Amino acid sequence: MLRKLIKHEFRATGRIMLPLYLVLLATAVGANLSARGMLETRYVALDILGSLLVVAFTLAIIGVFVMAFVLMLQRFYKNLLQDEGYLMMTLPVSIHQHLWAKLIVSAVWFAATVLAVLLASMVAAYDVGVFKEFLLIFREFFLGLRMLKISEALNGTVILAEAVVLLFLAMVAFSLQFYAALAVGHSYPNHKMALSVAFFFGFQFVIQFLGSMLVIGLDKIGAFHFLDRWTLTPAASVHVGLLICIVGVVIYGAIFYGITTLFLKKRLNLE
Amino acid sequence: MQWQFSNDAPIYTQLIQQIKVGIVAGVFPPGERLPSVRDLATEAGVNPNTMQRALAELERDGLVYSQRTAGRFVTEDKTMIHNAKCSLAERHIKEFLEAMSHLGFQREEILSLLEQEMKEEGKTHASA
Amino acid sequence: MPALECKELCKSYGRTMALDRLSLAIEPGRIVGLLGPNGSGKTTLIKLANGLLTPDEGYITICGRAPGPESRRDVSYLPERIAIPTWMSAKQLLDFYGDFYEDFRRDAAEEMLAHLNIAPDQRIKQMSKGTREKVQLIVVMSRAAKLYLLDEPIGGVDPATRDYILSTIIGNYNPEAAVVISTHLISDVEKVLDEVIFINQGRLMLQSSVDEIREEKGMSVDALFREVFRC
Repeated sequence: MLRKLIKHEFRATGRIMLPLYLVLLATAVGANLSARGMLETRYVALDILGSLLVVAFTLAIIGVFVMAFVLMLQRFYKNLLQDEGYLMMTLPVSIHQHLWAKLIVSAVWFAATVLAVLLASMVAAYDVGVFKEFLLIFREFFLGLRMLKISEALNGTVILAEAVVLLFLAMVAFSLQFYAALAVGHSYPNHKMALSVAFFFGFQFVIQFLGSMLVIGLDKIGAFHFLDRWTLTPAASVHVGLLICIVGVVIYGAIFYGITTLFLKKRLNLE
Repeated sequence: MQWQFSNDAPIYTQLIQQIKVGIVAGVFPPGERLPSVRDLATEAGVNPNTMQRALAELERDGLVYSQRTAGRFVTEDKTMIHNAKCSLAERHIKEFLEAMSHLGFQREEILSLLEQEMKEEGKTHASA
Repeated sequence: MPALECKELCKSYGRTMALDRLSLAIEPGRIVGLLGPNGSGKTTLIKLANGLLTPDEGYITICGRAPGPESRRDVSYLPERIAIPTWMSAKQLLDFYGDFYEDFRRDAAEEMLAHLNIAPDQRIKQMSKGTREKVQLIVVMSRAAKLYLLDEPIGGVDPATRDYILSTIIGNYNPEAAVVISTHLISDVEKVLDEVIFINQGRLMLQSSVDEIREEKGMSVDALFREVFRC
C-alpha cells in the first residue's frame, strides 16, 4: 500500500514540479543566451532583455526551491488535514504509511530540485567563458584525486556519503517538525492554523533549549574529556562529528515522528 | 406499471395490493415469470426486503408460486385470479360506499346517481 | 455479527456531548436511515465508525473490528462534503479507487458515469457542485463493501438525480452488506429503508422498522419524525 500511496503522491506533486523544472531549464537557456553577449552591448533594449533573462533564471531557481518546500507543507496540510483528509484518512492504510509516503516523496523532490538546479546552472553556463575556467579547476581537482592514497580516498568518500545522509535526514526531520506542528495545531477545534504556527515555534524553542541544556550538562559531568584523551586524526574527528550529528538528527526526527503519528491517530479533528 | 404509495399504511401491504392489481389487470399474465425481487424493488423504488416480504405473502395466498431455481411465477389458476379480482372490486365498492354515505347519500340516491353516470359514460364512449 | 455495533459510546467536543452513551447494532442486509435534527450526533457517529474520531468512552466496531486500516477495507464512506481531490479527472479518480480498494468495480463506476453523462476526462475542478457530488457518490457506490456509510447522500442534488441515487442503492442491494443513510429528507428515502434510527442530542430515541411504525402508528416515518421533533 505504501507503494501505491507514493505513486499517487508523485502524481499529485509531479504535475506541479515537472513543469517548473521545464521553466527552470528554459530560463537557463535564456540566461545562457544572455551571457553570450546580450549584456553591455550598444543597444539598451538588448541589455535590458539580457538582464531580465538573468533575473528570470534567478527567480526560477528560487521558485523551484520554494515550491518544493511549499509542496512539502501543503500536501500534508491539504491532503490529510483538510477536506481531502476525509478520503485519505479512510483509506485502508496506516498513519505510518501516510507519513512515510509524504516524507519520501518530498525528500525526493528536494533532492531532484537540487539536481535540477545544478543541471540548469550547467546549461546556463555552457560554453560561456567563465564556465570554461571553472571546468579547468574541476579537471585539476579530479587529477589531484588520482594522487590520493587509498585510505584518504576511502575516508573522503565515506565523509561525503555521511554528509549526504545527514543532509537527507535533516531534510526529513525538518519536515517532520512542520508536520508535527500542523498535526497538533489541527487537533484543536478553532484557530487551527495560528496554533500550528505557534506550535512550530514552540517546538523550535523547546528543542533548542533542550539541546543546549544537554550540551551544558554533558560538559559539566565531563563527558567531553574523552575527546582530549583520544588522539584522533583529522579525518576521524570529522567522522565522529558527522556521526554524532546523524544520531542527533535521527533523535530529533523520531520525536516529531512520534508526535505527528500520535496526534493523527488519537486526536484527529477534521472540520 | 405505476407504483404509488400512501403515507398511512405499511409499504408491504400496499405492494401486495398493487401486485394483485397487476396480476388481475394482466400486467403480470397467468403463468408468466415475475421479474426478480431486485428488479421489482428498483422499479417500485422500495426496499428489496419489503418487496420480498410482499411476494412471500402473495405466495402464501397462492397467487404466486416459486420454482426453486427459475424464480417466481404468477399462478395459472384462473379462478384464483378471478377471486382476487372480486375481492379487489369489493374493496373499491366498500370504499366508494363509505365515501358516499359520508357525503350523506342514501342507498337509492347512490344507485340512481350511478346509473346516470354510467349512461353518460356510455354516450361518450359511443360517440368516440 | 452486526455490520456496525456500538456500546455506551460517548464523544464530546469540549463541553458539548455529541454522543451520550449510545448503544445500537445494525445487521447485514439492512438499509437503515439515521435520522435526527441538525447537531444530533449523526455525523459524529459516522466519523467514529470511520476512525476519523476516537471515542471518549465505550466502543464501536465494524464487522467485529475496531475502526482502523483493516476495518476500512469493509467500509465505503460518503462524507457530507466533497473530499475527492479536485485536480483529478473522473478517470484518474477511478484509478485511485481501483488502486486502494480491492472491491472497487470499475465497470460499474464507468457505467454510472456514462448514465449521468459525466465525461471521464473532465477535471473534477471544472464540474458543477452537483456533478462533483454525483462523482463522489458513484465511486462510493461502486465498491462491494460490507458497510456503506452515506452522510447526506441526497442533500444537494436535484430530484431526478435523487431518484437515480436511490435506485442505485436498491439495485446495489446485497444481503451481506448494510447501508446507513444519514439524512433529513425522510419522505424521499422512507420507502427505501428497512429500518430507521432516531437520534437526538447524542441519544438513541427509537430504532424500528419502517413498516412497524406505519402499522402501529398509522403514519409515515416522516410524519412521526415531525411529531417527535416538533419545535
